[in-house]
Amino acid sequence: MKYSVMLAALGVLGAGTALAQQPPIKIGVLYPLTGGGAVYGVPAMTGHQLAVEELNAKGGMMGRKIESVERDDKLNPATASSTMKELITKDKVDIVLGGLASSVGLAMSEVSKQEKVVYISTIPKSIQITTDKLHKYVFRTAANTDQEGDTMAMLVGKNKLTKLCHLELDYAYGNDLEAGILKALPKYAPDAKVVLTLKPKLGATDFNPFIPQVMSAGCDGVISGLWGPHFVSWVKQAAPLGFFSKIKWISGGEIGSHEIAGELKGDYPDNVISNTYELWYTSNDPSHKEFQARLAKKLNTQETPQWAVLGYIGVMYAAAAIEKAQSTDPDKVSAALEGLSIGTPVGKLTIDAKSHQANIGQFWGPMVKKPDRAYRMMEPAEYIQPK
Amino acid sequence: MPERRYLIASAVVVLLLALLPLGGSRYAIDVATEVLIYVLFALSLNVLLGFTGNVSFGHAAYFAIGGYACAILLTTYGWPLLFALPAAVVLAGTVAAVVGYFCVRLTQIYFAMLTLAFAMLVWGVAFKWKEVTGGDDGFTGIKLPAMLGHYTSYFWFTLAVVAAAIAALWVICHSAFGLTLIAVRENSVRTGFIGVDTRRMRWAAFTVAGTFAGLAGALFGMYHRGMYIENAYWTESAQVLIMVLLGGIHSFVGPIIGAAVLYLLQIFTNQYTTYWPTVLGLILLVIVLVLPDGLIGLMARLRAYRQAWRRP
Repeated sequence: MKYSVMLAALGVLGAGTALAQQPPIKIGVLYPLTGGGAVYGVPAMTGHQLAVEELNAKGGMMGRKIESVERDDKLNPATASSTMKELITKDKVDIVLGGLASSVGLAMSEVSKQEKVVYISTIPKSIQITTDKLHKYVFRTAANTDQEGDTMAMLVGKNKLTKLCHLELDYAYGNDLEAGILKALPKYAPDAKVVLTLKPKLGATDFNPFIPQVMSAGCDGVISGLWGPHFVSWVKQAAPLGFFSKIKWISGGEIGSHEIAGELKGDYPDNVISNTYELWYTSNDPSHKEFQARLAKKLNTQETPQWAVLGYIGVMYAAAAIEKAQSTDPDKVSAALEGLSIGTPVGKLTIDAKSHQANIGQFWGPMVKKPDRAYRMMEPAEYIQPK
Repeated sequence: MPERRYLIASAVVVLLLALLPLGGSRYAIDVATEVLIYVLFALSLNVLLGFTGNVSFGHAAYFAIGGYACAILLTTYGWPLLFALPAAVVLAGTVAAVVGYFCVRLTQIYFAMLTLAFAMLVWGVAFKWKEVTGGDDGFTGIKLPAMLGHYTSYFWFTLAVVAAAIAALWVICHSAFGLTLIAVRENSVRTGFIGVDTRRMRWAAFTVAGTFAGLAGALFGMYHRGMYIENAYWTESAQVLIMVLLGGIHSFVGPIIGAAVLYLLQIFTNQYTTYWPTVLGLILLVIVLVLPDGLIGLMARLRAYRQAWRRP
């Protein structure tokens, strides 16, 4: 009797140490945490951490703890490339997530190809990642510029706009989005014509040379890729001239997010239809409520930023793939990711087996005034997923 | 010829580095490869900065030209490395010669500003010429010969090229030409009076600096399998300038130490905190206030103290 108890105790102890000795599964992640990209990178990292905490609370993956190795990519592709190599060779991570700028996404994809380690692009939208530069180990859970352009073209058709002014920032994202829109325009709005295309510089703050040109072009609609601070500057300079009273402003670049609405507050103009990955006050999936509540608690604000969900989904996909493969072997994880469907706070998503692109959608809708709020809200917010 | 003990010491260092892959740490090999590339980059700038006394704020331009040219020739045109690498270096040198022709007409702050302007022009071309350079998406997917595909072989290749380049730079800096450059630095007017065409000397130094920066850039692009417009940006020029200052501008070895220390410090800081810019700022402060001669100057001073102690 005594012996059997002791044996059992030994067995438990043995099992315990065996479990403890199981090395953790390491997820490497890069977001811009300093400089101009930090506004987006820091919330994305918060979402990432939230997902890791949740998974660990549930016992990790395959009975192993998850360790997240977090680094700053400084919005610089060469830094991202060196740092990702370091994560792989020194920290021995099993999978890498993150990035924000298109160039950083492409640089990370290149390292992933060389080192044969799976990389999931969680924010970079550059279409090349899942077309020309596609390879076995790269996947994307963010939207891409073709999907965004397709929806914008559809909204042009839906709003029966015929004379369009096109505004894009003159860099990778702007050029890719322009191509995406022009490709889809004949399909949804055969009558629409682009009468003016203007390309302000990335980081531009003075739009005074552009505003009169758009106003005198006689457009009934503007299609725009001016994101974040660019849109804010445009509004502050154009709205006093009555710019937004005569036109519809259909925009990509997530200016329908609460971050922008909260920044512009009463200055947010009429007639804007835009997109966002996530809205703290709207959901298309029952699991969103719980996700948002936890995020709100972590960030200590009810009005949570949209970028967190992208960091969160990246981790969920990594976990699901490793769980499905029952291995951290990159070839098996890559095979598991192809065609993988998971439930997320923004509904069920599937990664296409061929293009490695998830069918993540975005909320699209007009930004309307609310009597009891200081800021505008998207209403009705329609979740549009690529077909 | 250098003193025999220096020759032996250099040979030992190169040999020890060549044995690094036996340590088995892939990470150490990667870090060493990058350090070697930055060492060459910093040394190339010092021909202009330390020896000739001309501050360039646009040295990254030639680094980027070498990197992009090598990448494009290898990948887009499918040239073999044996031709692509020399062609890229020659191109970087040629552009440096053209830009230098104009820059050396000015001195001091005006010279520095003009180098900056030309460098931003190069950045602009890399950004706008999307069909060729990939624009701000960067030029990724550089094709390397299979022979250099493995990280160990690439490390040995880099070590060989960098060692040869350092030897060449040593010879250049200690030749009659190099000594003339020092004379130009010390007293340009007087050097002119004894019959030296100082402008021409500075022009030659500019070209040499650009050529070797191009070589460093080519090695960098092939190592990362990508070139990015950030490599041509003025922040990159500033970084290499700080490397040289940290090591010590008035010595040949200074930039080697400066580049290694600054790069290693940067990657180790990055592993623990995101406050690298703060650390960099502090380093700069210390250099300017306490260590005008850099780490080499510090070592010389320490040695002088020790000798003073020993004396009765």
